[in-house]
Amino acid sequence: MTGPDETRLARVALARLVEPGHRELGALVRASGPVEALDRVRAGAVSAGLHAAARTRIEGADPIEQAADDLARCDRLGGRLITPEDEEWPSTLEALADISTTDEPHVYPPLCLWARGPHRLATVAERAVAVVGARAATTYGGHVASELGYGLADRGWAVLSGGAYGIDGAAHRGALSADGVTVAVLACGVDTAYPVGHANLFERIAEEGLVLSEWPPGATPQRHRFLVRNRVIAALGGGTVVVEAASRSGARMTARRAHELGRVVMAVPGPITSAMSVGPHELVRDFGARLVVSSAQVIEEVGALGEGIDAEDVPVRSQSWRDELEPRAARILDAVPMRRAKPVERIAADAGLPARDVRRTLPTLMLLGLVEEVVSGYRLTASARVELSTREAAPVPELR
Amino acid sequence: MSFARAASVALVGVDGHLVEVEAHLAQGLPGLVITGLPDPSVAEARDRVRAAVLNSGETWPARRITVGLGPASLPKHGSGFDLAVAAAILAAAGVAPPSALAGVALLGELGLDGRIRPIRGVLPAVLAALREGVARVVVPAANAAEARLVPGVQVTGVATLRELLAFVRGESAPRVPDPPSTARSVTEVARPDLADVIGQELGRSAVEVAAAGGHHLALFGPPGAGKTMLAERLPGVLPPLDVDAALEVTAVHSVAGVLPAGSPLVERAPYQAPHHTASIAALVGGGSGLPRPGALSLANRGVLFLDEAPEFPTRVLDALRQPLERGEVVIARSGGVARYPARVQLVLAANPCPCASAAGDVACTCSSVTRRRYLGRISGPLLDRIDIQLDLLPVTASALLREAFDVEDSAAVARRVVEARAAAAKRWRANGWRTNAEVPGGALRGPWRLPKRVRASVDQLVDRGQLSARGYDRVLRLAWSIADLAGHDSPSTSDVNEATFLRTRGAA
Repeated sequence: MTGPDETRLARVALARLVEPGHRELGALVRASGPVEALDRVRAGAVSAGLHAAARTRIEGADPIEQAADDLARCDRLGGRLITPEDEEWPSTLEALADISTTDEPHVYPPLCLWARGPHRLATVAERAVAVVGARAATTYGGHVASELGYGLADRGWAVLSGGAYGIDGAAHRGALSADGVTVAVLACGVDTAYPVGHANLFERIAEEGLVLSEWPPGATPQRHRFLVRNRVIAALGGGTVVVEAASRSGARMTARRAHELGRVVMAVPGPITSAMSVGPHELVRDFGARLVVSSAQVIEEVGALGEGIDAEDVPVRSQSWRDELEPRAARILDAVPMRRAKPVERIAADAGLPARDVRRTLPTLMLLGLVEEVVSGYRLTASARVELSTREAAPVPELR
Repeated sequence: MSFARAASVALVGVDGHLVEVEAHLAQGLPGLVITGLPDPSVAEARDRVRAAVLNSGETWPARRITVGLGPASLPKHGSGFDLAVAAAILAAAGVAPPSALAGVALLGELGLDGRIRPIRGVLPAVLAALREGVARVVVPAANAAEARLVPGVQVTGVATLRELLAFVRGESAPRVPDPPSTARSVTEVARPDLADVIGQELGRSAVEVAAAGGHHLALFGPPGAGKTMLAERLPGVLPPLDVDAALEVTAVHSVAGVLPAGSPLVERAPYQAPHHTASIAALVGGGSGLPRPGALSLANRGVLFLDEAPEFPTRVLDALRQPLERGEVVIARSGGVARYPARVQLVLAANPCPCASAAGDVACTCSSVTRRRYLGRISGPLLDRIDIQLDLLPVTASALLREAFDVEDSAAVARRVVEARAAAAKRWRANGWRTNAEVPGGALRGPWRLPKRVRASVDQLVDRGQLSARGYDRVLRLAWSIADLAGHDSPSTSDVNEATFLRTRGAA
């Protein structure tokens, strides 16, 4: 009999014994379940390679006890453990098993994930895009990353990244400033701030987004863990955008994994003379990555058909927008010229309203995509002209 | 008796320091030496005092006279010590009882004939005397009204040295009548009214918002668009100064010597419009010796209007930046540091280009480089501090006719402004800000962030690159002022919409 707690403990213990993503261990857990897998690893009844990977740690303290300690510690800091047995586990991670090869032993799906943050991971992963790049980003890269982060989050997409300096941090901040969801996948414990300068950022993400890690609380970042971690970012996202990266870099690695997983790989172009744009440009050449310059284009790639196109150029306007307009706004809209733009004062005179009323209303009409501003004043947009072309024939009824 | 002591006040900026004036009469070659860092105008007291004493019918002691001004390390400027010097010498000579000079501060300049002339800076000097525990002052009769503004001080106005001697001897002297009083006439002088500005509805509304939120204002437009008219009307819609502010303003004006005689208290927001040839010293204060307050400090708690702003030397404009930020001017000299308050509302006006055709930009003959360079003289950091930046269009004849009626006067606007300011002050009190203009951008985007639905129109401007991050903060700040004027608790969508119009298209 294996209870749920036993399964969870076994997963945590296994994740502790062997560095995450181990192909053979992953396959073993899939075949026989975590509890039996743990027994076999501890008994040495596994292949020489897996035994060697786990050996040094088996000889330490009891892994089950350590796992219990980890869970208690996680509880104290308000985090939780997510395992494939939970309904919150995103199915997207399982695809990692398919791209694992014997040459690269650490690509298998995580055994479990530690998490801090209010959101349900599976829901977030349904609409998530990874925005990754170099730590030594240029001003341009930082700007683009935060614009992308803002734009994606603003349109309801979660922004995934690795919490590093540079592009990662800019993308996270952009998403936060749009009041959106952002997910930081760390290569250390979810309670460990690495880099230290991002301690406040991680606290905010833990409050408003999600902080994830395969390593238990208190784990320290190690060089190889970043590369192992990158596969999770690639797998969780519907696509991966590389904003800036040097020729050989972790971001490029994330993009490669996304490519292998069949996810969309996107690259932000930059000056061909910039070392930080070599990575994205290579991705275009080598993997046929899509060039993207705006969040709308990113959504066009990863979203449902036609989603990105709607997102930018044509503001969302319900069919019944006419009925929803205040009488005053309808009256002002009627006074806005079709083609030859007029200044506010002229529109006010035509509508018979004070200019101040017009100023208080026009931006809302612009937001609805009905009115546009040109050098000489304001006029109807092309789409409003089409919709309003019948206005002489059928006057808007609610006009006073 | 060959020694006596009197008290006076030395000013550094608007800060006063009590000065002891000691006179010692010794045997020796007759003469008068003044020690204690006197500047030339103090040293000249020697000749003025002697002539005044003789012409008042007293005898000049034929002794070696040493007058010390203490503390000796503090530089002394101006002619205001004459009275104390004369009193100390006469008391030391036994002409007047020295005890009568105890606990009295004497201020005033002597004429050669014994008349006592008015001096600058009486108000801050009396404030300083009171602060240091001297509650009786003798001032020139012409400055008596100004000195009486300080509550709790016993003021004696004297017109001649004879009167002063009579006062210290406790006699009643033949009273020379005070100069004719013109009390309270100045504050009632009519200010230009907002109702006179016709056809600039947006400009009038900008002035109202600027007054309500304490925002700096920049007006761009062709000649005749009404830039100067609007700027001149801003002080008229500002709330009257409260007691503390009025004293602060009066003190600076007193030091500068620009107080009107008779009705010294400045109760309305002051207005200063220096010409564009003004030097840095004229604008922010300075000058040799004791730094004098500049136009910036004279406009404290009021409006500083810089017409044709690009014509001012860039150095002069940039000298305004730091005082605007700190609300005071600090002028350091080897002899000490003078501080003057400088909390002003800045109003800039500029033509869009040097050719400045009255018909507006359509008739401009300037090259694009010339135009850019012209407005570029107003530096970015200075413009960054200006919340309202407005392009005024030339007024059309039809607008003149249409708006001839239905125009509010300054009094109506001022009433709304008073309420809006009170609402803002109440809201920000816990944070230590008095007006919306003082609220930092971080607070507007952080704890006081507006709901997304309300700020949708500004967000879109930013998304489209039509508004910079700083411009965004400015629009939000203005939205609060517009909401305060409308009596809303927080800005509505329409308030934010309206705020987006109070910026320059493109440049912001």
